[in-house]
Amino acid sequence: MTDMTTQQLGAAERHADTALHEGAEERRLGLWLTLPAQLLVIFIALFPILMQVYISLTDWSPLDGIPWYRAYELWIGLLNYVDLANDPRFWSALWRTCIVMAICVPVQFLLGLGLAILFVDDFPGRRVLYSTILVPMMVVPAVAGYMFFMLFQSGGPVNDILSFFAGRPVTIAWLSDPDLALFATIVSDIWQWTPLMFLILLAGMVSVPQDQQMAAILLGASWWRRFWTIVLPRMKTIIIIALAIRLIENFKVFDNFYIMTGGGPGVATETISIYIYKVTQQELIWGYVAAIALAILIVLSIVSALAIKKLRSVQ
Amino acid sequence: MQRSLSFEIFRYAAIFTFLALSLVPTIWMISMAFKPIAEWQASGADLTWWPANPTLDNFRFIFGESGSDLIVALERTAGRPILASLLAASFGTLIAMTAGTAAAYGLSRFGAGGNLPLALIQLRIFPPMAVMIPVMIMWAFLGLIDSWYGLALIYGIVTMPFSFWLMKTFFDDMPREIEDAALVEGCSRWRVFLRITLPIMRPALASSALFVFILNWSDYLIALLLTTRDWVTIPVYMASLSSSMTGQLYGAKAALGLIAAVPPVIMGIAIQKQLVRGLTFGALKE
Repeated sequence: MTDMTTQQLGAAERHADTALHEGAEERRLGLWLTLPAQLLVIFIALFPILMQVYISLTDWSPLDGIPWYRAYELWIGLLNYVDLANDPRFWSALWRTCIVMAICVPVQFLLGLGLAILFVDDFPGRRVLYSTILVPMMVVPAVAGYMFFMLFQSGGPVNDILSFFAGRPVTIAWLSDPDLALFATIVSDIWQWTPLMFLILLAGMVSVPQDQQMAAILLGASWWRRFWTIVLPRMKTIIIIALAIRLIENFKVFDNFYIMTGGGPGVATETISIYIYKVTQQELIWGYVAAIALAILIVLSIVSALAIKKLRSVQ
Repeated sequence: MQRSLSFEIFRYAAIFTFLALSLVPTIWMISMAFKPIAEWQASGADLTWWPANPTLDNFRFIFGESGSDLIVALERTAGRPILASLLAASFGTLIAMTAGTAAAYGLSRFGAGGNLPLALIQLRIFPPMAVMIPVMIMWAFLGLIDSWYGLALIYGIVTMPFSFWLMKTFFDDMPREIEDAALVEGCSRWRVFLRITLPIMRPALASSALFVFILNWSDYLIALLLTTRDWVTIPVYMASLSSSMTGQLYGAKAALGLIAAVPPVIMGIAIQKQLVRGLTFGALKE
């Protein structure tokens, strides 16, 4: 009797031991598997940000002939941040980026939503047309920049089409007029990213369950009413995700703008990324660039953390 | 659902109007790529939407054959930038997929690395321009400036959020019974991952890799900052296809643009089922 209990206890102990051992093995394997990704994140986030904080407190530039780690010789404290607050070019670039976002994202959203409504049920040719609509978003953005650069030349096809409708030769110099240049770059962005909105919104719309809509049809609800009270509310999360993705990406906008206009004429199409790029490459005041970049990173971190928290509570 | 005839007419009319506008830029580039030099600058009445005398001269020109009417010979041909783009994008994809897949499995099965999902989204939110100063300094320090492997490394890190999130949703969806059966048979966890899980996941791995490749292939800004001469990628090289002497080499740019645009379009259409999942970080699966 006592023997058996000891035996059983022993077995149970051994069992618990292997389970514990397995748990340890799994934990170890999990750590090993996630290690490369963790190291890469530290490598690209931790070092650069610490470095950025340090350099942003100095007046260092790669032309000074001293290595970056000796930048303390040019220590200027928070002066870069004071300069930043008083830099009209920075604020105007930031404001311009916001205007671009305020135009591009809603237009892309409405066009994408409209197209998604047309594609939500099956019709002959749906698959082919769907794939064709997606083409612009897969074109390399820089190449799209070159495409629109060609289109908006004064002797180019855009003016040719306008001439056709106007009945007289139109020779607008799109890319050398400040307002028209901004318009042209915005058009290129809308062209490229409307398909992405369409793709996400359609996927969300298709996944709205049919039963309630059927019931509403039987009750005689109009299409508009069904869309407004049943479909749209159920797409809320998807819509937030789609808008968030486009706002984030649109804030970074660089490729097509820079290739079409180089930020010009003057600073007419200078977005925040183009502004930072120019200060980095042409004016080479890297201490100041580090301060700009850090300010943007901090603001974005706070905004994104709040947004993600909000999104989680919605879900 | 039955829809009225007028709706059907409206639907096709609206879709075709949108497509007509949306395809103009692409069609113009294709047409320009096959135009001889005399037609490049044509405007007004001379402007043609389709090449009057189609030619392959533009393609010959960018690869260094001076068979065309162009007076200039290219100092550097497009061959090397294409190689640079291919190497950087491929190895960048390899890095992103290896680190991303491993981490996704570690999180999905063993709950390791719980900080990664949010950290990687944050990584994606930051504009690359806002961390490029330290990256340029680090890359210079490590001797990675103007090299394909230096580009591949940063591409791999920048696109890792996508490979991680894509593979995480695929691993979450995979039934665990298969793995459990192998564990009961006495396979080690590690063996199960390599010999059973990964082979089953081959289609998911393939479409994630294509997705990540498209992103890497599409980069412009990073290559602009981290390459200078020997390993410039296609989009950076394209800027050199113009000079004060010759002006814009429209046809040559269009030809190279076409070469750059074709692979991602084909790949993108091939994986269009997974595009939504990739672009929304797995929040939405189609």
